[in-house]
Amino acid sequence: MGMASANSGGSEGMELCIFDLRRGQQEGQELDKILFFFPADLPFSTQLSVIGLSEGLITFTRIFSPEAACEVIEAERHSHVFYEAEPDIWMVMVVEKSKEAEAIWRVEALREVLKEIHSLFMMFYGPVREMLEKDPSGGQIRSHLYPFVMDYLSDFLVGKKIQLPSFRDCLKECGTVQMLTVGREAAIEVQSLVRVLESGAGATHCYSLILFQDLLVSTTLSPDDTINLFAYAVQRLSPRALSSGVSSWSYLRRGSTPSHVVVGPTFATVSVSDQFHQLHATSPSQDNSYHVKRPLQHNRWSKGKDGFLVTDIWGTETGSLIPSTPTIWLQQTGERMYLCAYQYKSLTLILLVPLSSILNGEQGVSLVKQQVLENASLKILKVEEKLSKGWGGENAYHVSGYRYLLIDDDRNVSRASPPAKVTTLAKESLLAMSKLREEVDLEKSRSKWDNADRDKDLEICIRAKNNAWVIARTNRGKELYMVLERANETLLYASDAFERFSDRVPLLASSGAVALGGQLIHVIILTEIKVVIVGHRLLGVRFLLR
Amino acid sequence: MKERNSSSSTLRRILVNCAAQAKEYGGCVAAKVPEIERDMCLKEFLALKNCMQNTRKGLRFSILDILWADTEYCKRKFNSLNLRGEGFGLVMSGKASISQLSVSSSGSAGLSHVYIQHPPLRCNVPGSRGLFYDDGNKLLCSPTSDRVFSWKVAPFDPLVAPTSDLISEGPILSIRYSLDVKIIAIQRTSQEIQFFHRETGQNFCHKCKPESESILGFFWTDCPRCHFVLVKTSGLDLLAYDAESKSFQLVDTRKANVSWYVYTHESRLVLLASGMQCKTFSGFQLSSAGIVCLPKFEMVMAKSEANSKPVLAAEDVYIATIYGRIYCLQIDRVAMLLHSYRFYQDAVVQQGSLPIYSSKIAVSVVDNVLLIHQVDTKVVILYDIFVDSRAPISAPLPLLFRGFPRSNASSSRSTIKDGESPEANISDSESNIYGDDWTFLIPDLTCNASNKQLWKIHLDLEAISACSSEVPSVLVFLQHRRLEASKAKQLCLAITHNLILERRPVLMVAKAVEVLIASYSQSLKTGSYLKGIKDTEDNVQFKSIKTNRKVNKEKLSGGAESSSTEVHTSSSQSQHLRPTNSPLNASVSERQESQVTSPAISPYEMYSLVFAPVEEEMVGDSSYFVAIIVEFLRSASSVKKKVQPNIYVLAIQLLARNERYAELSQFIINKVLQPSKEVAMQLLEAGRQNSQVRKLGLDMLRQLSLHHDYVLQLVQDGYYLEALRYARKHKVVTVRPSLFLEAALASNDSQLLAAVLRFFSDFTPGFKTTSDCHTYNRILNEMNSAVAV
Repeated sequence: MGMASANSGGSEGMELCIFDLRRGQQEGQELDKILFFFPADLPFSTQLSVIGLSEGLITFTRIFSPEAACEVIEAERHSHVFYEAEPDIWMVMVVEKSKEAEAIWRVEALREVLKEIHSLFMMFYGPVREMLEKDPSGGQIRSHLYPFVMDYLSDFLVGKKIQLPSFRDCLKECGTVQMLTVGREAAIEVQSLVRVLESGAGATHCYSLILFQDLLVSTTLSPDDTINLFAYAVQRLSPRALSSGVSSWSYLRRGSTPSHVVVGPTFATVSVSDQFHQLHATSPSQDNSYHVKRPLQHNRWSKGKDGFLVTDIWGTETGSLIPSTPTIWLQQTGERMYLCAYQYKSLTLILLVPLSSILNGEQGVSLVKQQVLENASLKILKVEEKLSKGWGGENAYHVSGYRYLLIDDDRNVSRASPPAKVTTLAKESLLAMSKLREEVDLEKSRSKWDNADRDKDLEICIRAKNNAWVIARTNRGKELYMVLERANETLLYASDAFERFSDRVPLLASSGAVALGGQLIHVIILTEIKVVIVGHRLLGVRFLLR
Repeated sequence: MKERNSSSSTLRRILVNCAAQAKEYGGCVAAKVPEIERDMCLKEFLALKNCMQNTRKGLRFSILDILWADTEYCKRKFNSLNLRGEGFGLVMSGKASISQLSVSSSGSAGLSHVYIQHPPLRCNVPGSRGLFYDDGNKLLCSPTSDRVFSWKVAPFDPLVAPTSDLISEGPILSIRYSLDVKIIAIQRTSQEIQFFHRETGQNFCHKCKPESESILGFFWTDCPRCHFVLVKTSGLDLLAYDAESKSFQLVDTRKANVSWYVYTHESRLVLLASGMQCKTFSGFQLSSAGIVCLPKFEMVMAKSEANSKPVLAAEDVYIATIYGRIYCLQIDRVAMLLHSYRFYQDAVVQQGSLPIYSSKIAVSVVDNVLLIHQVDTKVVILYDIFVDSRAPISAPLPLLFRGFPRSNASSSRSTIKDGESPEANISDSESNIYGDDWTFLIPDLTCNASNKQLWKIHLDLEAISACSSEVPSVLVFLQHRRLEASKAKQLCLAITHNLILERRPVLMVAKAVEVLIASYSQSLKTGSYLKGIKDTEDNVQFKSIKTNRKVNKEKLSGGAESSSTEVHTSSSQSQHLRPTNSPLNASVSERQESQVTSPAISPYEMYSLVFAPVEEEMVGDSSYFVAIIVEFLRSASSVKKKVQPNIYVLAIQLLARNERYAELSQFIINKVLQPSKEVAMQLLEAGRQNSQVRKLGLDMLRQLSLHHDYVLQLVQDGYYLEALRYARKHKVVTVRPSLFLEAALASNDSQLLAAVLRFFSDFTPGFKTTSDCHTYNRILNEMNSAVAV
């Protein structure tokens, strides 16, 4: 019911649709375009009007910018966020601008959500277009998309509302992985384990992903596949996900404040399945014969006796009770892989074995698993021991006095202050940061079109209403955002603090992420905030425009 | 074909006669198949073999025939130098075709783990009255009626000329030279020892109390308090030589009832047997460090019947010095076991027992490998006591006679001199192997008393390593070899090289690499790893022993210190492995000074002799090779050894070749590949395909404070202003201004050019007077006026 109330009201909800521009070109067949619509109980006329508007704008803007059509529509009461997932397959999210202060979004963050839905979908089912070509009626894709997106959205349920990433999440970055910083010795042990894992499986092109707690330790996958599998692992496979059954996407994690993580998974599932049935009722083309696996369902994974994680999501092999091994589709190679996840204490190992290399199905997979245990179990113990010894706990990457987010765009890696620490920031600081990030996003997308092969250097420093310093710096593919609430002195002070920071954050220190100590080269004026303009080499001079 | 028939009929006869043994052996094998391992069913096998040998008395049927399968297998492996290790499966699989039996008995073509090399040292002098071995000086003495001839046997050279000294006539029980080789001591009777001064020819006698005691033997010692030890039935007499009075003074006595004694100069240990069964021992070590009195101990002897009390004989006790540790080996004839004891300063600890398959046993130690000659069965079993396992290194194989160098070296002098055809010689000697007249001298010599031939026993490292399936343990074995360190080293390199090329399981290669690195680290600690061997020849060439001998000759004339080959064990507790200047050094090439005293392989050599060649030869996916390198780095870091940047560079090349850039950046960021200029440059090189990798290289340059290179790279990438800023901050003056100016001009951006010009005008003193300044100012003006127009 909860979801339904959020939807049917319409006023406080959001709409999410996926449609194919190549379908339903003839009048009267417009409904054929719609692959997914949330909320599903909206009248078709309303659904079509949303899609019609989007399509119109896309067609219009393509005239001027064929490669990158419309990104966002800012209407008076709504924002429409566009994402072209695959050629001519569009995802549009409509969010309502409410007077309620919490409803302040960053467009790029919303687009990341769309992107994640699509990449995860691809990871399990392959590209949407492929499925459409296989089944031109669209029944198959609809029956797959609906439960999948609903399961995905259920992670955003807070109470009865879907809570999308808002300004409060501005010090988090979706679509990146969080890495564990390890010492050289441990790193070598990890690499050695990786090699043994991949060679021990006997097949040729295996891949592996190793997580410690919720942090990535090693991957041999391509960056895109890593992001997807990492997101899935953190949400559904990590020890935390297995033990609590509670989940919300990592960048939405509320840290230690338990009131925020009250998600009723069963409740959500019920409402989702309600919607699922509604969809069946409303679309006559639906065929119940599609066997739809729902990999995002909660509480379907558990740890088996041998340490490997098992799930019944993929059903059982015909004629046996043994659950089938999950398979995923890799973006980079377009290959289907068996997913074998093994867990030992806080260590989660994911081994991907090509379907093509295992001829006799489940039997072959269990043989691979057995080999892995034989060859690697000693190494696994050793690595786990080494990593837990060096593990600094939840707040390992907290730098006192700073709230920060560091993004490495090249490697899709981010590191941020622990969520619990971010929640201590004042609303003003967060709002300013959100605004600032939006500016940087804009700047980034601009420079992307100007000069694709060169990263732009940028440093912006603003002072929020509550006298907090909010700083952003991008430097050759690395972005650093930080909030200094207690640095109530001059900009010089803030700049010093900024520089000191670079010595303390391990990711910075080890990779030399941001070359600090340059001068401010960018000036920004945001009228509603106390603004500081800093000109070329005029550090420490403060202007107040009021 | 005829041979085949005859041998199969012989076989039938054998099978009739030895049905019981054959059945037993077959049953044992059948019970264990398919788990086939080395030495399985050895007891049954030897029983069968004994029976077969008795049946085939008239025929030439050597042990080789029986062990043909094993040998054949090894040979096959050996010939191809294909060091695979499928185990000994072939031994069984080949059983059906036993008709091949006699094929492999072709003498020198056969293979064995231990061999003696033709020619022997011939110590034949007319009128010889027997041979005596002085292990203190490693001299073989052959007295005649008025002379004593002595041959130096270490380092072993079959062509060494004897020295001779005049002595007076009389019975001779034993001869030993003093350690400075100035005095010859000859035991004439059980009461009297006569001493001869070699220089002056003077002689004098030392006698003991004839009524109460008799002399069992004597030896010279380097103990600080005395020079000469007399072993008598009543105990030890320690005597000091007084050069002036030319006589011996009694310094000390140790009372004990002695039935017999054993002593080796190598261990400086004398064991005195006493008691009814002669199994109670008291021991003294008389070394340059002083006298150590060992606690009394008893040896274990099994009883055949309740009342029988077997008496231990002196021939049944051996002192063996292995890896500088002193062991005592005792034959228990009833139990058919060889018990081993290890001596510590304050204790004697039994170490376990080895099975024996012959009533007559001889023990030699070659390069710290324990050789147990099973004289009756004419096979020898090898043990490496360093590792804890008491399993033999390889299957029992016969001692082999090598008639002439395998490879075609220079025409062999010895064969010409002998005037015999090599083949005849071989068959002669082969039939004599382990004959009744063979005596084994400490540590690695064997003497054929009737022929007056002295042979040195060698290990065939190639054969041993080719025959074992357990590669890591073979490497451990090879890494402990000192005598043929260079050969062992080459073998280790070849084995590792082949392991990788054959893509054996990563875990196995990892283990092998770990062994090598651990051994290297150990050798650094003990200082036995000598640098200076940068062998660029990556092919393993084993030259003939013939050429090696030439090297030895040079060494003999060259350095006197090379003669000190024995392992001094100052303390029985010492586990210290001293580098011995190997007398027979199978060096790869002659021009190489035989300086390789340890087979340890440094990371550098690992790179240049294993990884670099493998990289050239390897085809296909290189991720396997990367895995090996990771294992190598792991081993090196676990013993805290640095690795040359070349290996990191190689790893980067391999990863970049497979376009595994994400992994590469993980390697760099986690410092699995440690930063260095070479690594940074390789990253920049690989970064042509991937900008992220290039950034890693740039970051590394900056971290290493290679300011000049960093600035250059920045300019190359087009980050002029950042480069200038950086140059100013870090005071980089080595980059020419014109470089920046050219780059700025090339960008066709007048603002940029102005900024760069301004920078140099402001911060570089004297820039304004240079021609660059004028040129570019003019260009800038032109650009600006063009814009204005």
